Amino acid sequence: MKTLVLGLEWFFLLYFVLINLGYITLNLLAIPSLRRKTAIRPLEDLPPVYSGFEPPVSLLVPAYNEEATIASSVRSLLQLDYPEFEIVVINDGSKDGTLEALKQAFQLEGFPEVYWRRINAQPIRTIYHSRTHANLRVIDKVNGGKADALNVGINASRYPLFCAIDADSILQRDALRRVIEPFLDDPTAIASGGTVRIANGCTVSGGNLEKVELPRNLLAMLQIVEYLRAFLFGRMGWATVDAVLIISGAFGVFRKDAVVEAGGYKANTIGEDMELIVRLHRVLRTRGERYKIHFVPDPICWTEAPEDLSILKNQRIRWQRGLCESLHQNRDLLKAKNMGGTPGFLAYPFFMVFECYGPLIEVAGYVFMAFMFAIGQVSGAAFLAFLALAFSLGFLLSVSALMLEELSFHLYPRFSQMGALICTAIVENLGYRQLVTVWRLIGLTRWLRGAKSSWGAMKRKGSWQK
Amino acid sequence: MALASPSENEIAFAIDVALGALAIALVLLVAIAAMRHLRRWRDGRIARSENAWRNALNEATEDPHAARLPPIGRLELAAFLVLWNHFAESLKGDASERLGMLLSLNGIDHRVMQMMRRHSLRHRLIAITAAGHLREQRAWTYLENLALHGGSIESFAAARALLRIEPRRALDVLGPALSAREDWSLARIGSIFQELGPQVVTGPIVTMLLKRPKRGLNRIVKLARFGHRDRIAAIVRGWLGSSDEMEVLIAGLDYVEDDSDLPWAKGAAKHAEWRVRMAAAKALGRIGGRGELAVLLELLRDPIWWVRYHAAQALTHLHGLEPHELDTLRENARDAFAADMLSQALAERRWQPVRIA
Repeated sequence: MKTLVLGLEWFFLLYFVLINLGYITLNLLAIPSLRRKTAIRPLEDLPPVYSGFEPPVSLLVPAYNEEATIASSVRSLLQLDYPEFEIVVINDGSKDGTLEALKQAFQLEGFPEVYWRRINAQPIRTIYHSRTHANLRVIDKVNGGKADALNVGINASRYPLFCAIDADSILQRDALRRVIEPFLDDPTAIASGGTVRIANGCTVSGGNLEKVELPRNLLAMLQIVEYLRAFLFGRMGWATVDAVLIISGAFGVFRKDAVVEAGGYKANTIGEDMELIVRLHRVLRTRGERYKIHFVPDPICWTEAPEDLSILKNQRIRWQRGLCESLHQNRDLLKAKNMGGTPGFLAYPFFMVFECYGPLIEVAGYVFMAFMFAIGQVSGAAFLAFLALAFSLGFLLSVSALMLEELSFHLYPRFSQMGALICTAIVENLGYRQLVTVWRLIGLTRWLRGAKSSWGAMKRKGSWQK
Repeated sequence: MALASPSENEIAFAIDVALGALAIALVLLVAIAAMRHLRRWRDGRIARSENAWRNALNEATEDPHAARLPPIGRLELAAFLVLWNHFAESLKGDASERLGMLLSLNGIDHRVMQMMRRHSLRHRLIAITAAGHLREQRAWTYLENLALHGGSIESFAAARALLRIEPRRALDVLGPALSAREDWSLARIGSIFQELGPQVVTGPIVTMLLKRPKRGLNRIVKLARFGHRDRIAAIVRGWLGSSDEMEVLIAGLDYVEDDSDLPWAKGAAKHAEWRVRMAAAKALGRIGGRGELAVLLELLRDPIWWVRYHAAQALTHLHGLEPHELDTLRENARDAFAADMLSQALAERRWQPVRIA
């Protein structure tokens, strides 16, 4: 018994050290890439000259009950700086006035367009063309979920690349140009994901980001530090070893043929964005094809973070379920050629152990230590040492993300802003991260129970919108 | 004694790791503060100078001798050249030359040459771009070496600079690389070709096309659109009868322009590869007449959506075919897909967008 308990103590301790070492390694991997990105920015920032060889892009905007914001979102997309693109809004059987809002704002009219059903999806009702904007179409379809809506968008899209966008995302005017760059330079590129940042506190006018500020709401501040970690070293680090397993559903560009050949988005999944990426790795690795999935670290897509605890809780539960689904549905990645390359033998096990089942181990660790302390089996010193370890490693990771931000994009230039972010990085480790871990554990258990998925509804405050 | 009290070693290990992590975090925080302080100081300095630089650059586009450029310190040079490059990118002709003269008059051209060999990639890229705009002949050997042997980003920046310094000579040097280096994006090369204009690029493109290299021919064919169409067409159309390569056939079909090409276009309409059939449909829409009706109606029943779409588009543009005949064709079409596609093409033709004031 004593040996078992001691073994468990070491297990939890080593788990904490290992997961944090993993993140620190990703951090170290991200540094050279970010520095290189910063070095070439003087070239990228020169006025763009388009040659006509830029691949045209179909922007797919799935919308479900987005009546309040859909028109302004589309207007913002219409202003993107890119030579050739079309916008395809897919109204996924909204129950509110989403379609009416679009009809009114863009003078939509039904059009006898022939729909090419390359991927199975729910039937469409009508295809509308805009009389005011030649590059805008709206597809009204029977409700089938976000993945299904995106599949309809892919079927209806006309260009070789498509960009999946959340209807409530705010894109910078050069967002498309920047996220497409990997496709210009790399013929093997099949996907490219952009960095998502939090818009709460920022000034947004007419669908465009005018001024970057920090939010006053603590929950939103906590998520800013989280996003910095997730994108600046999480995804950037994995990108350096060609093992990106997630491209955010809020903003990602894909080569259409590759996605169609892989079967499109998987309907009835929660994490359709991650599932597609893991599946693309699995399918292409199994076929032995050359491909690359890129990640663009520039902060080009902005989204509203929940400021309400219950909404945030639901979001995190959904994300965790999506992650578990995506990983388990693509287990065969490990059987692909060379064990699936770095996505297979490196990223997949890491995600499986630390991201999928991690919450279970972490919560068990906390509960175990607290229980042993409560029954007097662990001394106060040992308990405090355990907590200090968890806090200090978490704090180090957050600070290293702030360091990467300082080295690269420097979006919060004032000392007061950096002070606020550092305070948030401290507060984050005193309860918030643990709370998120518990939510993720709920997500994991719900996935294990096989609960039904649906559109992730989130009440938007949009207080930053003018 | 507790059942499983952690050993002293275990506690010591946890505390050591925690303290180590905190120490590193504190070092990072100090580094962030220092970097921020340094950046603030540097940005402030640059901000104070930037207005004067802008004024000088604006003046220089008129008369570089009259432009008053304040002395530029070592730490400011990169920021100044970034601004100068922005100006240079948007200017052409004499104004661009005068802008270059401003640097020579102030001895900055020598500093650009030195900067090109610095360790910092950022500085090198800024200097390489500036050297290109300055048409700096002294940089030729260095840039040529970099363009042919450097990594993706630097080599392309160097190639771009060479093409600005002496376009024809650069095209001779870089020709094989332009077609073969897939890490040099066509879009970026295209933007340079566009800048150089057809009078400069047509000759080298023709030379490259005539060599018909096995590797990279599709890239040259695509770049050919920046040359004089008639000279390119004479070569590319000739390939239609002698090539089975998909990219070559597609390119050839893009250049067909009269009745003499109709047999090739009709033949391509039966090709196994759908992209060739699509190119054939487009070509037939451009040069065809009533005689091509049967081929296009056949393409209208193609299994691939895009071939049907372009066949329908071609039908709506076919010489000598009246709108009411198209309506009749649609009504009589036995294939539902063909009829639907024709309806779409006709609707697109009749679609009247609203002009926004």
